[in-house]
Amino acid sequence: MQTNPNFFKSIFNGRNAVIAIPYIWLLLLFLLPFIYVLKISFAETIYARPPYSSLLIWGDSWLPSIKASFDNYLFLFSDSLYIKAYLSSLKIAFISTILTLIIGYSIAYSVARAPTRWRGILLMLVILPFWTSFLIRVYAWIGILKTEGLLNLALMSIGIIEKPLMIMNTDLAVYIGIVYSYLPFMILPLYANLEKMDMSLLEAAADLGCRPFKTFWTVTVPLSLSGIIAGCFLVFIPVMGEFVIPDLLGGSETLMIGKVLWTEFFYNRDWPVASAVAILLLAILVVPIMLYQRSQEKAIS
Amino acid sequence: MSENIKFSPWLDSSQKPYIQIQNVTKRFGEFTAIDNLTLDIYKNEFFSLLGPSGCGKTTLLRMLAGFEKITDGKILVDGEDISEIPPHLRPINMMFQSYALFPHMTVEKNIAFGLKQDNLPTNEINQRVEEMLELVELTDFANRKPNQLSGGQSQRVALARSLAKRPKLLLLDEPLGALDKRLREQTQFELMDIQEKLEVTFVIVTHDQEEAMTVSSRIGVMDSGNLVQVATPTEIYEAPINKDVADFIGDVNILKGIYKGQNEVGTQLFSEDSNSIVFATQEVGASVEDEMWFAIRPEKLEISKVAPSHDHNILKGTIEDIAYGGSFSTYHVKLDNGRILKAIRANRERTKEHHLTWDDEVYLQWAPHSAVVLLS
Repeated sequence: MQTNPNFFKSIFNGRNAVIAIPYIWLLLLFLLPFIYVLKISFAETIYARPPYSSLLIWGDSWLPSIKASFDNYLFLFSDSLYIKAYLSSLKIAFISTILTLIIGYSIAYSVARAPTRWRGILLMLVILPFWTSFLIRVYAWIGILKTEGLLNLALMSIGIIEKPLMIMNTDLAVYIGIVYSYLPFMILPLYANLEKMDMSLLEAAADLGCRPFKTFWTVTVPLSLSGIIAGCFLVFIPVMGEFVIPDLLGGSETLMIGKVLWTEFFYNRDWPVASAVAILLLAILVVPIMLYQRSQEKAIS
Repeated sequence: MSENIKFSPWLDSSQKPYIQIQNVTKRFGEFTAIDNLTLDIYKNEFFSLLGPSGCGKTTLLRMLAGFEKITDGKILVDGEDISEIPPHLRPINMMFQSYALFPHMTVEKNIAFGLKQDNLPTNEINQRVEEMLELVELTDFANRKPNQLSGGQSQRVALARSLAKRPKLLLLDEPLGALDKRLREQTQFELMDIQEKLEVTFVIVTHDQEEAMTVSSRIGVMDSGNLVQVATPTEIYEAPINKDVADFIGDVNILKGIYKGQNEVGTQLFSEDSNSIVFATQEVGASVEDEMWFAIRPEKLEISKVAPSHDHNILKGTIEDIAYGGSFSTYHVKLDNGRILKAIRANRERTKEHHLTWDDEVYLQWAPHSAVVLLS
């Protein structure tokens, strides 16, 4: 058989090489690990290294037999802890997305309406916290929120409270931490959207007799919808699987799926159940991710 | 426009002006956009604010709409001081230069927007929207979104939306600026029809002098924050008060003259360009040897190869350039001293030659009442 030398040339031309980079990236860093985790989730825990059974059993026949079980998934539904953790994560992600939206929208709005020369500086201040490690910033909140922390000391010294507030190790501390950490992800897409809004539309609404408050709801909000959706998904999706913030700021009763996963993996050394938890989390997040994709496509068209 | 002869409330002292702009000043920091401006506009007028960009015409319009706060002075509408009333409470609507249609609403919803703010019953809103759609001939486009409309259609939706609330006063900010010439001319006539039919007072801002001439009952010519002249289109064109107005509106030849006194014909001026005395019927108060100008529109200069029988109001030159415009031709005539004047002649005969050609020696003459004498 004769190979056409142009065949290889046509495959390995510059254009294909450029296109291939993201595909190879996704293949190596997403698809392969995903298949690996998926595989483990169908295995059984054993005392070995690695601590899970193999899926393929090489027996007498020349084809291996497959030994996969759904037990790990069934187990997640049999123990109410996991369901509760998923639901609690959904609740925390939902509430903190709403809180982030309310705070982020007002910040993005005021930055977008600030004089042009101020906008760059204000936006810089929004991004500035990224210069410090995420972990250190969350640690810093412990110093602020703990019983003898900055917040309590300040409030007591000006006489607003007599006894220190118990914020640390509660859900409230988790909400504060999440809203603080994820605020830039909400502000940036909202700012990008609000900044390019045509101010004459607001004037037109006022001219037609619409009060400023109503104009906000009938013109500004609908027109910034794509920014709102982008910001909400950028916050909601990572918060769903958040581990560091509930672990550092939350209490024993703060239940989040990220924490459960960590416990399964490191304390129980139950890799298959941990993998099943991860796969199920991904399945839950696929729905909002697809909704996000669709809204982005719509925004482009 | 023939009805303008009948419609002239500004000449009738018993008429009360509808809009009274009284000593209004607007400053942006150090910059004075409007400088102590006073103007009366009457009911059912189609009033144009005309001027070069940066003359303050848009600022004045935005102050009427309420988008700019007045620094000093006040604006009365129908006798009521509106200076402190926020835009959403003013009985005034505006058509924006960018149209400012709400992109997330259909044509129908855009038009209904203002009516909904008044909490009118739904069936009345629907009926009014229907009427407006018919008025601008867009009934078939009711459910389109603004991005599915052409420029001309968007312009109509913007007009319908601003008229839906039946305002007593409609402000139009360069309403036809984005349309091509043909559509613009057509729309000008439609605007005039609508204005007459609905009996709304229109105040329009434009930099297009032809547009202002066509549509207006009166024109206010603005320059650096103040009104230079307020008059009917005919007056502005035939009797401009200074060189700037004469030059801004239409084509004109402006020549210098030295005042030599009055006689039975009128004003006598010595013109360096013709090196003789020229006459103008218009009387001016001046003293002998005062320097002034006289302006002659190109169509009022008669061009011919034959020497006229009289000896005044004549300029001699050669044809430097001819711009053939179909219905008329514009001749650029170079005088002996090098100045170039424009003369327009209607092409009334269907010939290729039109008798006059390049480098022909020609005489330009004009009647004493055709020139306007300008003191500044």
